[in-house]
This record gives sequence, structure tokens and C-alpha cells, in this order.
Amino acid sequence: MTAFIVRRLAFVVLVLTAVSMLVFTITSLLPANVAYLILGSFAPPEQVKALELKLGLTDPIWQQYIRWATGFLSGDLGESPLLKRPIAPMLWEAVSRSLMLTGFSFVLIALIGIGLGLLAALRHGRTLDHGISVATYLGIAVPEFFWSIIVIIVFASWLGWLPASGYEPMSEGVWVWFKHLIAPTMTLVFGHLAHVSRLTRSSMIEVMQSPYVNAARAKGLPERVVVMRHALRNALLPTITVLALDFGRLMGGIVVVETVFAYPGLGRLVVFSIQNRDLPTLQAAILVVAAIYAFANLIADLLYAWLNPKIRFGVHVN
Amino acid sequence: MAKFIFGASIAAALSIASWSGPVTAQGTLRVALGTTLTQLDPALTTIGDEYVYVHLLFNGLSKINPDMTVSPDLAESWTASEDLKTWTFKLRSGVKFHHGKTLDADDVIATIQRILDPKTGSRARTNLSMVESVDAVDPLTVRFKLSVSYAGFADIFADRQTRIVPKDRIDELSKTPVGTGPFVFKSWSPGDRLELTKNPDYFNKGLPKLDAVTLRIIPESAARLAALESGAIDILWSMPYESVDKVKANPNLRADSVATPTWDGVILNNAIPPFNDVRVRKALALTVDKAAIVELALFGQGDPTFSPIPPSHPYFNKKLKFNPPNIEQAKKLLAEAGYPNGFDVAMQVPQEREQRVRVGVAVRDMAKAAGIRIEVQRVPFASYTANVAGKAPMYVDGYFARPTVDTAVYPFYHSGGSWNNQLWLYKEKRVDELLDAARKTNDDKLRAELFGTFQELVEETVPSIIAYSAAHVNGVSKKVEGFRSTPMQWLELAPVSIKP
Repeated sequence: MTAFIVRRLAFVVLVLTAVSMLVFTITSLLPANVAYLILGSFAPPEQVKALELKLGLTDPIWQQYIRWATGFLSGDLGESPLLKRPIAPMLWEAVSRSLMLTGFSFVLIALIGIGLGLLAALRHGRTLDHGISVATYLGIAVPEFFWSIIVIIVFASWLGWLPASGYEPMSEGVWVWFKHLIAPTMTLVFGHLAHVSRLTRSSMIEVMQSPYVNAARAKGLPERVVVMRHALRNALLPTITVLALDFGRLMGGIVVVETVFAYPGLGRLVVFSIQNRDLPTLQAAILVVAAIYAFANLIADLLYAWLNPKIRFGVHVN
Repeated sequence: MAKFIFGASIAAALSIASWSGPVTAQGTLRVALGTTLTQLDPALTTIGDEYVYVHLLFNGLSKINPDMTVSPDLAESWTASEDLKTWTFKLRSGVKFHHGKTLDADDVIATIQRILDPKTGSRARTNLSMVESVDAVDPLTVRFKLSVSYAGFADIFADRQTRIVPKDRIDELSKTPVGTGPFVFKSWSPGDRLELTKNPDYFNKGLPKLDAVTLRIIPESAARLAALESGAIDILWSMPYESVDKVKANPNLRADSVATPTWDGVILNNAIPPFNDVRVRKALALTVDKAAIVELALFGQGDPTFSPIPPSHPYFNKKLKFNPPNIEQAKKLLAEAGYPNGFDVAMQVPQEREQRVRVGVAVRDMAKAAGIRIEVQRVPFASYTANVAGKAPMYVDGYFARPTVDTAVYPFYHSGGSWNNQLWLYKEKRVDELLDAARKTNDDKLRAELFGTFQELVEETVPSIIAYSAAHVNGVSKKVEGFRSTPMQWLELAPVSIKP
């Protein structure tokens, strides 16, 4: 198992290095550069040239990359040329807020998704099954910005139960903090239920028809025990992988949801830095998104291996 | 039944929670803006959302009143020499910056020299390009020497970028800004909110009435409106016109509207075919029904106009009439210009600015009748400077209010004007003479006459089609007292108070 973990970790490092090179190269190819940004669009060209030299923007790109990467590894993410403040604290604050949002959403997606999948499988082919299918497909098929606006109109404008947007720190009161998380979480969860519930449903249906479930039933075990202890455990294996992928998808979801709900997290920071061509901030933020994605996948791999020894030992079944 | 009780208790819990929502201090006004600020340094600001902030923290030597007249602010008074080339400003005494320093002539000089320095990269530099020198006569008197006669010189200091900043804090303006205004900077969380508190030493005694102001950044317009409706904010700055009726129908809210010099229009390139022929420009103008465009593009929230001078301004030419479309005449002119069967032309519209897209589509449909077949192309607004302005034969654009008629007209219509050379490349000797003459006189009646004739000439020669002056509408909670929207679109919050 240790060798397996080491192998996977090395792979994550490789992926992140590749992503960082890609991000750095792509952003360097954009028409706006940092010197231009620091001086503003009304600066004379000679001035921009002088600062480009000073900042080393005329060096070969690989030298610039090495400088940036070493800075990054030592925890120095540089300063945002636009906002004139260090990137690191700004980024960590945004990441922690986004993790609150995605954390809540992820737990709810797992619980509700598996629950719905299980219900649908047990009521296979009946009205409840179709109802769940339609509802979860609707969630995934209609884009998040649409659900966000529906949630805002219903819960903030009409009912007045939830704040329309924004974020309040916990120091304002735990309930105030929590209340600002409900609407964006609701939107994120609704948009991500389909994968988990559909997969749980189909593997559950398959498992329920397998000989060992029949055997368990034949033994005279109560149906509840058959379903929960024997069937569900095995049926959840593929669900776990898809859950990890969903965590990555959530990283994409927050870009939209945070913008609509004016939630100052990582997604907003990415949008802001793209809109204003704040390249150093953008590079750092994208790398963090990539890291979260890579680690979510790593955890899925490890969990899967732990649950299913066939993967761990690379045994092929004929 | 159990399910029902469960649902009902969630509902109850949520509704109880909504009363005990965020506890704001008494007298904190919450404003929603749509775009995050990228600059806290007033000299470098470029967008309307930033100007709202600038106006709350800083003062200029002069200020613009709600009726677009200019009066003293940090200056107590000013005088100009006979030739309008030497201007002397007497400063108000005892004005304190937020960090305690007293305002003097050196602060004014440092502010102006910084804007004039090309290295600063301030957008206001061109407005002050006629300044030859600035010096202190005594600690409270500043003297400017200009290279040309310029009647509206004092008015320029009411503008956003020319607000006075303290000499000893210039390097920190983008992090911890310090001004003389009614509110003091407290904190800025990019993309989220800007917090300001009351300036207890504000030189206008008894103001501001509020304890604090929070500017919240909410990019999505539906969320901004919902925040206003649910009472999470008190003022929705510059609301979309299509929501005005909805706000008016809400018993807790009102829509506060004011006419402004902000305009949109169809920009025609006067230097290249087909619009280098004045007959073709006139033919297009003859197809356009400006009153209908106001309905279609602004949902009625604006007024047709001839030039960037809005109908609400004293210089607006009231004798001129908006002629109804005349398709026969338009076809005749086109035939004379060598287009008996009309012509095809592409028109760019900025895809993110819905209102300007609507202007483009309306003009396309109107022009069709005379055989001008316009193909509307949606392009990103960011590509305008590089690909569209000054290059395309026609496109839709618009400009924010400028502080004075001169700054709104001269750079756009004078053959040497900076904007003219980027937009329509219009050259008309009679207009040049009028605009130069208006700069050289301090006689308000004469200036009104000159600008009146200018509007006639613009109708006659059609440099482009300025469709309307748009209204500026704020959504306001009825708890807010003493608030009036202003034509410059920044928020006048010093006299405002809020009912608990």
C-alpha cells in the first residue's frame, strides 16, 4: 500500500508541475503584461518598456518561470500589481471561504445523492424512481446561473428568508455566517446530485440481482440488513470515484455560483483576475484550483484502492 | 403529516432567523455596486463604480451641483485674469485631511503635478494639458498659468481624478487612501466590500449625518435587486432600466431618477466610405426616430438629444426640433450620393452592454426602410480600442457624463480633439471656430449662444448620431432620507440619514 501511495503522490507532483508550466506559458502569451497593468492604460510606452526591463519581463520565458516557481515554492506568491497587496493572504482567505462552501456542498451531495440513488434503486421502475431521475437531470441539465437566480428570487425576494448574496464572517454570529452559505450551497448541491444518484442507483440495481444478495435473502436476513450491510457497501465503490470527480467539478461550479451570489471566494478571485488581467493573481489561483482537483483525485484513488484490493495490487481478473 | 411538520419547522426557523439578520450599527447606509473597484487612488480611477467611492472620500477645488452649475468646494473662491490665462484659487482655511494634516497650497500643487506627470498615467492628464505652471502665492493661495485662454478652468477641478490628496500620503493612496471628504476609509476587501466611517472633522459642519457607509460589490444584477427588495442594502446604485417599474411597485422602495449628460449613439467614421459623404450620414439620420430609440433602448428612461449637451442643460438648443423620420428624403439623398439601391454595411455593438445592443438593433431596423442594410455584429467591448474605434465604418458606443460642456464637446468635435480622432474623425471649420471662441469667453450668455449654434451645425453636418441622454436611476429604500440622484452619477451621501 505504501508503494502505491508514493506512486500516486509522485504523479500528483508531476501533474501540478505540468499545470504550472501550462498556466504560466498561457498567461504570458496574453496581450496584457504586468508592467502595463502596474502603470495603467494611460501610461507612455517608454515607461512600460523601462518597467518591463526592471521586472525581467524581457528575459526568456523559462527563466521567468523558474523565478516564479521558486518564489511560489518558498511561499512567496508575489504582489497583485492591480490591488497593490500581497497575493498569499488574499488567496488563502478566498480559498478558506470557498472550502466552506464546497465542503458543505460536498457532504450534502454525498448524503442526498446516495440516499436518492438508493431510494430510486429500491423503487426501481416505479413513480418515485422516475421522479428522482427527472429532478436530478433537471438539476444537472440547466446551468447553475439559472438556478442561482431562481433561488435568489424565491428565497430572498419573495420569501425573504435568506440573504440575496454576500458573505459574513463567523464573528458576526454563527447563524448569520451560516445563513449566507445556504443559498449558494443549495444551488451547488442541486446541480451536482445527478452523477452520484444515477450511479448509486444503477450499481445498486445490479448488486441487488447478484447471487450473494439472493444468498443473504435465502439465509433469512431481514431486507434492511441485506440492503444496508451487504448490497450498499459493494454498490458504493464506483460512487466514491465519481464523488471525488464531483469535488473537482464543484471547483468549476463555484466560479459561477460565487459570482452570482457575490460570495468572495476563489471563484470570484479567478473571475476578477481574468477580467482585470491581474496575471500573478490568476496564475496563483489557477494553480490552487488544479492542486485541489489533483488531491481530490488522489484521495479517490487511495480510497478506492483501500476498499478494493484488486486495484491496489494491480491484479487482473480474467 | 410528519413531513409537513418538518417542512413547517424549517420554514419557521428560517423566518425567525430573518428577523435576527445581520445587526448593522444605527446609521450605516449600505450601497450595492456592480463592478469591483480596481483602484483606490483617485487619480487613476476609470469606472463609474470607482467614482462613487472617490466622491465619498475626496473633495475637489470646485464641485458640481445637482443642476450642473459649479461652485467652490475646497477653494473658497477663485479669480481669473482678463485673458483667462492666469487663475488664482483661494483655499478654505482649517480643512483637515483624515490623518489630521491641514490642507494647504502644497497639497494642491502636489496633486496637480502628479496628474500632469505622464508616469502617473492618469486619465485626467489631457484635461489639464493647458496648465503651464502652478505655484503657491501663500499657504492658502494657488496660482495657475495656462498656455491658452480657458474659461471653464475652475470647473475641471470638480472632476473625479482631480480630487485633492495630501502631499505626505501620495504613495499610500492605493492601500490606505486619505482625503478631506465626508467619509473616512476603514477597510477594503476586494470583490466584496468597502467600509467607510463618518469623518467627524468634515469642514461642512453638521455633515455627514450617517455613522458609516458600506459599499458592497454584487456583480449579478438580479442579486442586487433581490438584496434591495429584501432590505440587505439601502441604495442600489445605477439600476437597470428594465427593473424600474418593479421597484416603483414595491411599497418599501422608490426609484430616484435624474437626467444626465451620459449618452449613447451610432458612431460613423467620417473619413472612410460610405459615411465620408455627408449626404449618406444625413440619409441615415433621416431614418432614425430618436424618441422610439429612447423607448426601445432605455425603457423610456432618457431624452432624445442632438449632441452630448443634454436637454436638461441650460445650453441645450430649445429652438431646434427633432424631425420625424423622412424615408423619401433619405432615399433621395442616397441616390444623389451614388447609392440608388442602398448599400450594405456592418455595425459593431458591444455584446456586454445590452442597452447599446438595443440601440444598434433599433437603428438597423429603422435604416432598412431607406435601403441601408446594416449587419449587426456583437463583439466584446474590450476589443473596441484595438479593432473598432477609428477603424470600423460604423459602431455603437457611448460616453459617461463629463464635468463641463467644454470637456463633453471640445475633445469630441474639435478637429484637434483627442476623442474626435479616435471616434468619428470629423473636421468642420465652423465648429472649430465656435468651440475655440467658447473657451475664450467668460460671458455665460455668449457661450450659450455659441453652443446653441454648435448644436445646429451638428444637426446639419451629422458627424454621428447621438441618440439620447440617458437617465441615471437609483433604487432607494424608503428608510433613506434626504437622498437625491445627481447627473454626474456619483452619490451625494453627506446630507443623507436613515430611519431605524
